[in-house]
Amino acid sequence: MKNTKIAVGLLTAAAMTAGMASTAMAAGTLNFGCQNYAGGSVNPLFQESSAWNAMRYGVTEGLFKFTDSMEIEPWIAESYEVSEDHKTWTIKIKDGLKFSDGCDLTASKVAESLQWDMTEGPNGQSRPNKYLEYSAQISADDETNTVTIVTETAYVNLMKNLAHPTMAIVDVADSTEPEHAIIGSGPYKIDNYTEEVGYDLSANENFREPVPYDNVKLLYMGDATAKAMALRNGQVDLVENITNVGDIQSLMDDPDYTVDIATGVRTGFSWVNFEGALGNDAVRQAVMMAIDDETICTSPLIGGLYNAGCSVLPSNLEYGYDTLVDPYAFDLEGANKILDDAGIVDTDGDGIRELDGQNIVLKYSFYDNRLLKEFSQAHHLYLDMIGIGIDENESDSETCWSELENHDYDLSNNNWTTVGTGDPTAFLSNWYSKDANYSSYSNEEYDALYEELQVEMDHEKRVEIITRMQQILIDDAAVLVDGYYKSSMIYSKNVAEAHIHTADYYWLSTEIKPAE
Amino acid sequence: MKKQNFFLKYKSFTFFSILGILIILTAIFAPVVTKGVSPTEGNLLFGLQPPSAEHIFGTDKLGRDIFTRVIYGARTSLSATFTVVIIIFLVGTMLGILAGYFGGWVDIVIMRIADMMIAFPGLVLAIAVAGILGASVKNAIIALSLVSWTKYARLARSLVLKIRNRDFVAAAIVTGSKTPYMLFRYMFPNTITTLVITAATDIGTMMLELSSLSFLGFGAKAPAPEWGLMLNEGRPYIQAAPWLMIYPGIAIFIVVVVFNMLGDSLRDILDPRDE
Repeated sequence: MKNTKIAVGLLTAAAMTAGMASTAMAAGTLNFGCQNYAGGSVNPLFQESSAWNAMRYGVTEGLFKFTDSMEIEPWIAESYEVSEDHKTWTIKIKDGLKFSDGCDLTASKVAESLQWDMTEGPNGQSRPNKYLEYSAQISADDETNTVTIVTETAYVNLMKNLAHPTMAIVDVADSTEPEHAIIGSGPYKIDNYTEEVGYDLSANENFREPVPYDNVKLLYMGDATAKAMALRNGQVDLVENITNVGDIQSLMDDPDYTVDIATGVRTGFSWVNFEGALGNDAVRQAVMMAIDDETICTSPLIGGLYNAGCSVLPSNLEYGYDTLVDPYAFDLEGANKILDDAGIVDTDGDGIRELDGQNIVLKYSFYDNRLLKEFSQAHHLYLDMIGIGIDENESDSETCWSELENHDYDLSNNNWTTVGTGDPTAFLSNWYSKDANYSSYSNEEYDALYEELQVEMDHEKRVEIITRMQQILIDDAAVLVDGYYKSSMIYSKNVAEAHIHTADYYWLSTEIKPAE
Repeated sequence: MKKQNFFLKYKSFTFFSILGILIILTAIFAPVVTKGVSPTEGNLLFGLQPPSAEHIFGTDKLGRDIFTRVIYGARTSLSATFTVVIIIFLVGTMLGILAGYFGGWVDIVIMRIADMMIAFPGLVLAIAVAGILGASVKNAIIALSLVSWTKYARLARSLVLKIRNRDFVAAAIVTGSKTPYMLFRYMFPNTITTLVITAATDIGTMMLELSSLSFLGFGAKAPAPEWGLMLNEGRPYIQAAPWLMIYPGIAIFIVVVVFNMLGDSLRDILDPRDE
């Protein structure tokens, strides 16, 4: 009988403990609502967005990390040394680090991860060679815990390139399912993935410092209003980038929520495909002139969440924005005149001008994110006024990306980070005709300047080159710029603090802590 | 005994016919009703304005007048709905009559195809078809027609089967009536009443389904003024600017109710069981 009582008592105590543990677990759960990019993949080599996913979710880390002034600070690496010719880089890895599966994060593991980028990179779409050439020689010394990279090309600062999410360090050998279960060294590890729903993450017990949350429930929410409503009714504690002007304004006015907005380094812009009707100079120039970007950005449609501008690089960067001249500033009459003078007129009276006997109807691809849909529709409104038709083609980010790669568009609206490596060289390579060249744009002077930029180490001269490259793109009407985006993080009283970083690679980090 | 005026006798039919005609006239004379305002032109600076004397239904995010878009939306919605109903009425009835009259393998082939279509939930199949064809009003009409003709085919077939073996039919064949004559003179008139009632009551249903397809992004494409699409575009602003959804929603509600009631009152007149 006594034994039975003891057993019952133990069971009760065990049940109570379990209950308390469950409560503690619930208190340590962060519910985070965010957009689904790259179909939820976290494989850094699948797409650039999937590399971002892994780092944004707090799963992977890079050798270095960008500060808000886009300088680098040590992350997995402790320090680095570079040879005079900028071709030999020696990186000291921090001692005692581990991956989330418990494996030691050694110099060999770092080399293995970088080597994986080199060998598997061509099979994915992330193009790691934008950051480190495929021919780079990578070796590791576990004794000194250093990795040495020898390149044929001289890099201005290879460490900034290696801080990009594509070059995140992963446990290659144990990441048997990289698409949805990549193993990194970040504060959180992946427990479960549900298609179109999101990830269940938990604290990485091998992380070098205490992780604020036991669990993170990461929920995909493509709709800005859904994010706002989920935040208001307590389904989530934290969301990124509510782009609906009305919703974000009401949350800013509500003392129960905190909105952290940063003028980042993102540009909203439409790729211009030179293979179609936009290959015609007059059509392209008229398109640029017909659109009043200042009015769009300040209108209730965008609500000031973008700053207007004419260059692909944000005006707040140091690349000579003030010296740029926009020959195609808003001028509806001018736009009509350019088309009329070029003989591109509406002969059949249907309201749409014809080029080579065909109505000019541009396929405008976009997806509903960061107000891209709103910009595309506003552009449509303006282009109607000069007799250029638009076929609005709304899809998801993955389809948009695929259309971009296959040049299956006339205009394709995107929002990209411009100085992803703290420097715009990689971003500017998008218009270098010998690279991926999504828009089939080609300008010899631009190509030459890009090649010069790759080897130029002097900062002042680099700024000069970059400024000139921007002016060439403006003069050629090569890019339709929406404006410069302001990113945001919005959180309830359940969260003590969250911050949107300039680089926008770091969403879930140890900075985000539960409220006391 | 004085014969009662038809319109006074069927007050419900008269009332909803007048409303239905008013809706159709509004659609036809949309430019007059909206005083020449374009449904696709907007001014961004006047976006998301609440209802006022200048814009009685307010403006949408692109500064377009919602009243104008709702009125023009009647054109798109009504023309698309009538097109679907006419297509499914003609195709379904024709196939049903053929299946019922000829029987045998013609009946088997037509009815098995109809069974296949019925096996799927209508709107889901329509979404699949519209998804494959691409978003446009034309493709939404094709998708809905493809999945909705079966009801008419089955009804027509059953009505034809009821008379197919009657003596007067046999007599007509024996006296040398040719097949087309049999189909149009004997079979078709025997189905028409029931099928017209079905078509009238289908107008509301088809309008809702077309709006659903547009709402889901498989029908009309922006910037077309179409009620389903307008609901979709207003959805992100449901809290900040609810008038973006309220007025297209009311328009759908009114038109669907009017045409459903018109169909019901027509059934009251034509359905022999009520006599």
